[in-house]
Amino acid sequence: MGRVRELSGDASFCQRVREMGFGESAFVTKVGGSGPFICQVNGTRIALSHAAAMGILVEQLGRR
Amino acid sequence: MALPAHISSGVSAAPSRTPVYALVGNPNCGKSTLFNALTGLKQKVGNYPGVTVEKKIGTAYSQHGQPITVIDLPGAYSLAARSPDEAVTRDVLLGRRADTPQPDRILCIVDATNLERNLYLVHQILDLGRPVILVLNMMDVAAAAGLDVRAGRLERELGIPVIPCEAVNGKGLIELKLAMSRADLPLSRHAWDIPAPIAPAVAELQASLTANDRKPPLIARAEALLLLTDQDSVRVAGSTPLSARTTEILQGWQKRWEGEGTDWAGTLVNSRYDVIGRIAAEAVTRAGHTGPTASDKIDAVATHPIWGWMILGAVMTLLFLSIFTLAEYPMGFIEDGIASLSDWVKKDSGLPDGDLRDLITDGAIAGVGGVIVFLPQILILFFFIGLLESTGYMARAAFIMDRLMSRVGLNGKSFIPLLSSYACAIPGIMATRTIEDQKDRLVTILVAPLMSCSARLPVYLLMIAALVPGDRVPVATKVGVMILMYALGTFGAFGFAWLFKRTLLKGAPPVMIMELPPYRLPGLKDVALHMLERAWIFLRRAGTVILGISIVLWFLAAYPKAPEGATPQQQLAQSFAGRAGHALEPAIAPLGFDWQIGIGLISSFAAREVFVSTMGVVFNAESKDDDTTPLRQALLATKWPDGRPLFTPLVCFTLMIFYVFAMQCVSTVAIVRRETNSWRWPLFQIAYQTGTAWILSFIVYQAGRALGF
Ligand SMILES: Nc1nc2c(ncn2[C@@H]2O[C@H](COP(=O)(O)OP(=O)(O)OP(=O)(O)O)[C@@H](O)[C@H]2O)c(=O)[nH]1
Repeated sequence: MGRVRELSGDASFCQRVREMGFGESAFVTKVGGSGPFICQVNGTRIALSHAAAMGILVEQLGRR
Repeated sequence: MALPAHISSGVSAAPSRTPVYALVGNPNCGKSTLFNALTGLKQKVGNYPGVTVEKKIGTAYSQHGQPITVIDLPGAYSLAARSPDEAVTRDVLLGRRADTPQPDRILCIVDATNLERNLYLVHQILDLGRPVILVLNMMDVAAAAGLDVRAGRLERELGIPVIPCEAVNGKGLIELKLAMSRADLPLSRHAWDIPAPIAPAVAELQASLTANDRKPPLIARAEALLLLTDQDSVRVAGSTPLSARTTEILQGWQKRWEGEGTDWAGTLVNSRYDVIGRIAAEAVTRAGHTGPTASDKIDAVATHPIWGWMILGAVMTLLFLSIFTLAEYPMGFIEDGIASLSDWVKKDSGLPDGDLRDLITDGAIAGVGGVIVFLPQILILFFFIGLLESTGYMARAAFIMDRLMSRVGLNGKSFIPLLSSYACAIPGIMATRTIEDQKDRLVTILVAPLMSCSARLPVYLLMIAALVPGDRVPVATKVGVMILMYALGTFGAFGFAWLFKRTLLKGAPPVMIMELPPYRLPGLKDVALHMLERAWIFLRRAGTVILGISIVLWFLAAYPKAPEGATPQQQLAQSFAGRAGHALEPAIAPLGFDWQIGIGLISSFAAREVFVSTMGVVFNAESKDDDTTPLRQALLATKWPDGRPLFTPLVCFTLMIFYVFAMQCVSTVAIVRRETNSWRWPLFQIAYQTGTAWILSFIVYQAGRALGF
């Protein structure tokens, strides 16, 4: 469980990530995966490649 | 589709033509399901994002029988399109597509289980200033997840009609149709406050877009907002470039904000999310905390780094095993049926001995029959593909493949078009429209035809039957050879993708953001419909293209006539087809192919399965006896002039490898031409694929010979 702190990477990537509900202060839960990740945001499961996940800085809120 | 004049009412405000509705929503929220329910059409439905990549127009009828035009659009997360399929949606909505009527009204479909994210697009759509009806789809799923979504509350918040619905079971359809035929629909009275630092810029751009770019005033506001959220403003403007004045204003503001450190695009998105977050919180209550869902539990295994691969492998093996074992009996029936039909024509139909009879038996029946035999296998293949698409496993396969795909410089999303190409490269190439990066898309288009499509299946099956004759060989061997061919094509595709990404189409490593839909029980009706549709396409092709080619080929093989007393083999050799084959022979002799196979290679440029029908025509024309033998036996009996068998296991194997790589499909060439907008790429594709096919076949054949096969 964590909360999105900061987005980095090229502008159009940030834009899309925000539009998909990954904006700053969104709550995300890592569901699985290690290379590509699976995250749960707001009831949807979203797969992120390693490179995509690197652009999303998450502040950890509690243990899973 | 104009309405007869007498129906249109005289009231000034009433539309004088059929109202046009556009269906818009996030990917995989059920748009096509609803479209099919409304229009009775059979658009493809699947449980993964990106099934629909082109608009489709249909007609629905209101409760009173009035026609309503409905446009199904590709799913989009935002009007700020990132991929070609999203651009289709944006352009239709903004009235930029000349071939599509501009929608008067918009049906926004949202997935009730994920209201907030879905409302983002709705919020943008409301800016277009057209009447909107909100459809709350998947209410059943929401209820099962313990979500209480209150339509009345949403209706009050947004000021537009909100209709709860379950598109799969047709629930809510009547209410929806009633709302759709309302003469007046309220415009959303919700006012959105554009954030203060940005509002003046929007106003200025809006004015300039109206004055200098001739945009209608209402759309101008939406266009202005898009100009600010999309990084590539030229793309936003559509095909006509932005006027100098508007560009100047835009750049002026951007420079100013950059100086101040304002992230204008982010601010706009976040302020929309503030509004919709509040609305969603009002409308949805969650009944307690639910534990991990069934999808969570399945995903723990299906996307596991090790188990995931094993499951993928098991699914594939099961597919090929079924193709070989289950198809055996129906195939036998069809074979017998064709043989007796042919025998009947020869012996009992009363047709005189001569060219007409030969044309029917040796041309039409041998050609078409040779291909139709494989209908059971094709059906099994599409049954499996349908299951994968319908359950939601497709997106997981893409997820598992991401690691591998990123090695070659593509992302997991590219795997979905590649998977579709197992069925046929044409839908596969269409599906590349979901890929955001232009270069990645091109690479995927270039390698997609390397995935073994269903048209190769008859060729492989025929060759495997000839390669390992009789029932002495265990099924495992046949399945093994088959998997080897599919694997060769797949890894060939990866290899070339890697090469192209490093040379021709260099680009940054792509990032993948892909929604994983929840697992669903397969919609058996969807799967069955899809199978029937593909079977119909297959049979139609057999009855038209393949029949036509077989007849033409028979003529080319029967004329010019050899002098009296020539053997059938001599007749074929000096016919037009034989001469073409002979002309090609020097090029393919190093691969172990003779001129007769050459005829097949030439004709299968039309479509790959034509190889099978061609062999049927060629070898049936040769056989003297009056009984029809199955093609595989005819092949085994064929010899080189010096008496060596032609179809040795090595030759069969080499031929399969040739078919894995060679580009032999006119329709694919045409689609690539259309999707890439130039002849350059399809020609390149023909050259590199056929070149590779030749080289690899050469290596395999010569190495095999050297090893004594
Ligand atoms: N349980 C349930 N499933 C639904 C409902 N509506 C649609 N589905 C399923 O949702 C999946 C997606 O449906 P589609 O109609 O293909 O979705 P789409 O929005 O057209 O998808 P794209 O073309 O990818 O944008 C399918 O598996 C449908 O069977 C519903 O009301 N309830």
